[in-house]
Amino acid sequence: MDAICIALITLLTPLVSATIIALFLRKQGTLAAAISTLAAAVVAAGALTLAFTGAHFGVDKPASVEWLRLGNFTLSLGFKFDDLAALMISIVGVVGLCVHVFSLGYMHDDASKARYFGGLSIFMFSMLGIVLADNLFMIFIFWELVGFSSYVLINHYHEKMSASDASKKAFIVNRVGDFGFLLGIVLCYWANGTVNLNELGAGHNVYSTLIPLLLFCGAVGKSAQMPLQVWLPDAMEGPTPVSALIHAATMVAAGIYMLCRIDVLMVPDALTVIMWVGTITAFYASLCAITQSDIKKVLAYSTLSQLGYMVAAFGLGSLDHLDESTKTLITISAGVGAAMFHLTTHAFFKALLFLGSGSVIHGCHHEQDIFKMGGLSKKMPFTFVTFTIGVFAICGLPFLSGFYSKDAILHLAQEKNMAVFAILALTAVLTAFYMFRMWKLVFFGETRSHEAAHAHEGGLSMTAPLFVLAALAVIGGYTEEGHNIYQNLFAGVWSQIPHAEGAEPFIMSLVILIVGAGAAWMLYKPAATDTLEDKVPSLFGFLAVVKASPDWIYDWYVAKVQQRFAMLLKFIEDMLLSGLIIRGLSGVVGLIGIGARALHVGNLHAYVYWFLFGTALLWAYAAGWLF
Amino acid sequence: MTVDLNHYLVLSAVLFAIGFFGVLLRKNTLVIYMCLELMLVAATVALVAFSRYNNTMAGNVFVFFILTVAAAEVAVGLAIIVALFRRRQTIQVEELNALKN
Repeated sequence: MDAICIALITLLTPLVSATIIALFLRKQGTLAAAISTLAAAVVAAGALTLAFTGAHFGVDKPASVEWLRLGNFTLSLGFKFDDLAALMISIVGVVGLCVHVFSLGYMHDDASKARYFGGLSIFMFSMLGIVLADNLFMIFIFWELVGFSSYVLINHYHEKMSASDASKKAFIVNRVGDFGFLLGIVLCYWANGTVNLNELGAGHNVYSTLIPLLLFCGAVGKSAQMPLQVWLPDAMEGPTPVSALIHAATMVAAGIYMLCRIDVLMVPDALTVIMWVGTITAFYASLCAITQSDIKKVLAYSTLSQLGYMVAAFGLGSLDHLDESTKTLITISAGVGAAMFHLTTHAFFKALLFLGSGSVIHGCHHEQDIFKMGGLSKKMPFTFVTFTIGVFAICGLPFLSGFYSKDAILHLAQEKNMAVFAILALTAVLTAFYMFRMWKLVFFGETRSHEAAHAHEGGLSMTAPLFVLAALAVIGGYTEEGHNIYQNLFAGVWSQIPHAEGAEPFIMSLVILIVGAGAAWMLYKPAATDTLEDKVPSLFGFLAVVKASPDWIYDWYVAKVQQRFAMLLKFIEDMLLSGLIIRGLSGVVGLIGIGARALHVGNLHAYVYWFLFGTALLWAYAAGWLF
Repeated sequence: MTVDLNHYLVLSAVLFAIGFFGVLLRKNTLVIYMCLELMLVAATVALVAFSRYNNTMAGNVFVFFILTVAAAEVAVGLAIIVALFRRRQTIQVEELNALKN
């Protein structure tokens, strides 16, 4: 079986699963869960087979079929599989399988399990489509499909008003970004004559800055960067495994992946914008996370912050380094390397953290408030151990995966832009701060509610994925030569990672960790109220305002500006279009009808007179008296 | 007094006028029908007179056609009027206004 065939099977299996579930298994939740998980297993197997055999296709010669031809324009569907795609498909496969298995336990008693697993399958299909696509139009198609599946899954508890609001918000905010993305694709086609990833190249015309920025709009929406970050925290209304898979590990990372795919289009001006958007998002989200009391909201803002890191890393761009042996300057696209590296490790430890929080929520009978938990380290030892690994990994404890990837980004920032470096380092301190705050409140001290007192560990299907992801969160960062756990896999990506020399990163990471974690450990007592709020209410209030202000701005904009503009348009439409043109025309026709009807008096003699009149008229016309 | 073309034409015009005003003013469908026939006859009178005056046969040929058509018309028209009467019990035109309502 050749590689393209395996890729096709990998891509289509989840679609088949989703179709079967949607058509036949709506009522049989357990069977649907089994089929969907089996599909995820096939995906994981296919993805890893492709990655381990080192398959490459669609790079040198196209592996695509023509799908649509409109005049000169052809739309093709095809695969491009290089090291970048291999890495991404492996992440999607492995994390996807873990989440499916975890869902078996987490959603065990859910009434609409079939819809949930059908949603997961259609998501897997869409995500794989983005990963494998070889042109921007195909990416866009699957881009919209992941938006749809995200909508379905956020809306899983649709009887809850907040969940259905959140799903609509996610969809609409994403559409805003996608509109820019679509404009970018169209402009790219117009300016370059192609949207095939292999044929793209940075042009030197007036659009060369505009095109990457418009395409970046798509990533801003999907990866929830400022100013479109508002949907991601609300998306936590969905089931927790969905948050782990879609809103932490894979879909939101698709924006970063897409940016890395179109790396060749990037020009310095666009990269500067991207860098600052990412940096500001990273810092802003870490500030917001401090005030959150919902365990999933903390993780959501943390995801935002880490996505900001990746975008900033991408925006920092390439790095020159001197090759000692040949004395030549080698340019590596370090931004792509650092961003994808952090994407990888983040996928592992953030999926781990989310599934851990899912385990906690499941154990506490769907209590999500961290101030009502506490003391869970003894009641849920497996979750505690794995969650702790996740916390340490995201905080960048040396030798865990997060350390290496965050270090690569900070090193790159240090080389390129000190202001960005300072903000990102401060963000790292805040990351350690809010993660330890949550960790302490959830797992230590006395239990503070009835639900937490009766917490219990979930079954094997919930603990096994935690251990798999914990292992990956520990070892996932070893990509340097000498102790590379990936051997020669994904070498095309790993070779782009910037590495700092010496003990400096070590010390930096430790200082960041100790300052952030120490402050949180000292400040927060395991109490039922927020210690920061009690001690420094002004600061807490300020952070709460910072967190809520984008939503206020959007509320004001939608209610006051957009709504009024829409009303003006509606007025014009009512008056001109439906009033004058449509009603006016029908009115004229109606008047003629009324007039003509008046002639039909139903009296034979009247008709004879009309006939006489008509004859006289004809005669007059024939005789030339008229006209 | 010789009877020349003008007399025939006047006769034809008078007959036509009688028929025309009959159609306009009478209420009974049967009478209206007879008036219609009168108008046709008026036309044939004029045609025969012209035929005679011009010494051609064209007018006479027309007359045969008109008579044929009129006979066919009578057959259909009378049948319709009988059927109408059977159905509606009246042939007064002011009561036959189903198209209006």
